[in-house]
Amino acid sequence: MTGKYVVSVIVLVAISLAGCSQKEQKVPLEDVGLVGSLSLDYIDEDQMKLTVAIPQYSKEAKKQTQIYSVVTELMSEGMVEIEKNSHKKVILNQLRVVLVDEESARSGQATKVIRSLYRNAEVANKVLVAVVKGNAEEILRAEYPDKPAINFYLSDLLQAKMNTAFNPNTNFHDFMYTQTNPVIDTIMPSIEGKDGLIELNGVALFDEEKMIKILSPQDALIIQALQGRKKIAPLYLSMNHESYGKEILLLDLIHSKVKIKSNKNFESPKVSITLKVSGTLAEYKGARERDLDKKEAIVKLEKDIDAEIKRDIGKFLEKLKELKVDPIGLSENFRMYYNGKWTTEQTKEIISKLEWDVSVEVTIISTGTLK
Amino acid sequence: MNTDKRKVLNGYHVVFLAQNLIIGTGLLSLPQKISAVGYSQWMLPIVFGIMATITLWPMIWINSKYPQENLFSINEKVLGKWMGKIVNSLFIVYFVFILASLIDNYMLLMQTTALAEHSITLPIVFFLLVLVYIVNGGIKSIARFCIMSFFLTILLLFFLRWSIEKGELSHIFPLFNFNWTELEGAMRKGFMSILGYELIMVYFPYIISQKKAFKHTVIGVWISITIYFITTLVSVMYYSEWQLKHIDYSVLNLLKAGNLSFVERIDVLGVTLWIFLVLSTTAGYLWASKKSLESLLSKSKHYHSYILVAAVFLVMMIPIEREYKEKLFENIFYVSFLMILWPLFLIVVHLIKKKQVR
Repeated sequence: MTGKYVVSVIVLVAISLAGCSQKEQKVPLEDVGLVGSLSLDYIDEDQMKLTVAIPQYSKEAKKQTQIYSVVTELMSEGMVEIEKNSHKKVILNQLRVVLVDEESARSGQATKVIRSLYRNAEVANKVLVAVVKGNAEEILRAEYPDKPAINFYLSDLLQAKMNTAFNPNTNFHDFMYTQTNPVIDTIMPSIEGKDGLIELNGVALFDEEKMIKILSPQDALIIQALQGRKKIAPLYLSMNHESYGKEILLLDLIHSKVKIKSNKNFESPKVSITLKVSGTLAEYKGARERDLDKKEAIVKLEKDIDAEIKRDIGKFLEKLKELKVDPIGLSENFRMYYNGKWTTEQTKEIISKLEWDVSVEVTIISTGTLK
Repeated sequence: MNTDKRKVLNGYHVVFLAQNLIIGTGLLSLPQKISAVGYSQWMLPIVFGIMATITLWPMIWINSKYPQENLFSINEKVLGKWMGKIVNSLFIVYFVFILASLIDNYMLLMQTTALAEHSITLPIVFFLLVLVYIVNGGIKSIARFCIMSFFLTILLLFFLRWSIEKGELSHIFPLFNFNWTELEGAMRKGFMSILGYELIMVYFPYIISQKKAFKHTVIGVWISITIYFITTLVSVMYYSEWQLKHIDYSVLNLLKAGNLSFVERIDVLGVTLWIFLVLSTTAGYLWASKKSLESLLSKSKHYHSYILVAAVFLVMMIPIEREYKEKLFENIFYVSFLMILWPLFLIVVHLIKKKQVR
């Protein structure tokens, strides 16, 4: 009996004491502006132009999205500025996409901003990032008459899909992971505004904090294949064969498997890479078109494709060696055998001395249903 | 048959009591606490498990010498009435502080992730009320609550799926990549998160088959160790060493790694489900402190738990700076090492006394 009495007294006291607490200023949902995308443009070393896109739910408004821009030194200060202009409380909880222009990526400013956003508890870790060729603000401000509102359009575009799988689909976690992991360098997709649409057209490669180069989709495909992704984008190859001349083909890759082994030698590092891919020959244009219903011809074609891919990988690794960056994480295969703390310098050293031995095995599973 | 009325804990009760009293908020920050050893941290839970098994043995031994007594009455028997009472009152203070630290830790987490714009005083009050409700049901109700919370929260392991997919298993190499000072630091900070099994000394007299108590508790401890092991292993796979060291509550971010079309923030789901784990752990400690108070006052009353809870609430509301508070709560865990070693001391005194009697 006493127990119940005590409980009811405590509950009563708790309820009435709650009245003494200060009234919390809670903002109702309709007064909140949820930032969907955010862009960053380089002005000078200290200043940047911050642009946010907030979906417009009012039916009277002519446009679907409201855009605000401010020039600021600090991310959070910019958000306060934007709030002053907006009729709503601006929050970042629903942030999906962050765009940075090429210059801020090259200067390292973008990295700092993403770092500070990553620290922010209200921002999710799955926010996608991309580099914009040209002005990032323009992408948000431009009109896309036949597309959904910019926030949805951008986040759908940057989400990994099969056809654009060369797109490395980098989110905050990936970005910070590759930034802070000494064995791997950051990559992120690069986009460009064409009139009425946004094009994914390459991959920005970072050397530590700064972007150094934009790679072609073909190179990005190699990165993904060597990173061990099982499903990758269709492979487009244009070969110049000695006896058959120019050939163009598209391989729908079904499965890819990679094995990378290092020789564990830090003085003269060498990796052996075995890449096994299987897929369907979706299209072929060239001199061999008539023979491809024969098993031997297919086997011969496979061999030729092997050689072609091998050459591509070789060329790409040569490029990395020159730039001293490692977006694939090849040096992980050396770190695994190293006792002590691994540093970025060691990765650079390994990559600059790296030798390789690539073997590629392509299997064409089918050529379609026509004989 | 008066004595047998107290014996309420079956074998599986003992297993889950041991298992669930261990996992409080400790698991959430474990990867960060033991990050001094870098990627090799996935081995540490196993070491902790072995240490727990070894230190469990003296606890069971001293209890089996006094099968009808709990830790506090053993204290009084072994050390004499007055000495025992002094020690027991110290235990009460220790329990109150450890409770305050556990709840404070969890509520702070709740505030940063789920209730960002609210004050947490009211949630704390409600938490304490539920706690008292569970504890007043006795040790069997706590054991049942432990079983329930185990099955409710074990499902969270499923959310590790995406991080496993994305992670690199090669991070676990090279094995033993640390030096002694790093290991020492990680052990000191990490061992706190497996505390909880020492409460067996308090609920031992309630166990039906006391001969098997050691076996059952060890099973419980190793279930928890397995969960710890999986979590640290996945963290090692998913994060870079820098992230392991710098992300608070990185386990929550592991839950967030996935994409579910119908839930946006799985971490909030995780945090709120975690309340079961925190409730079961704190219920164990509150019950133990209640027993301690009972032995001090030599009588058993329901309102004891209200007094204790009020004390816990007061400790949490002490208007001192966050910094000192955190330091206080951190140091209270070092006292736990004393509690782990306490049975050894009791054994020594017990053996000396026995010799004297002869």
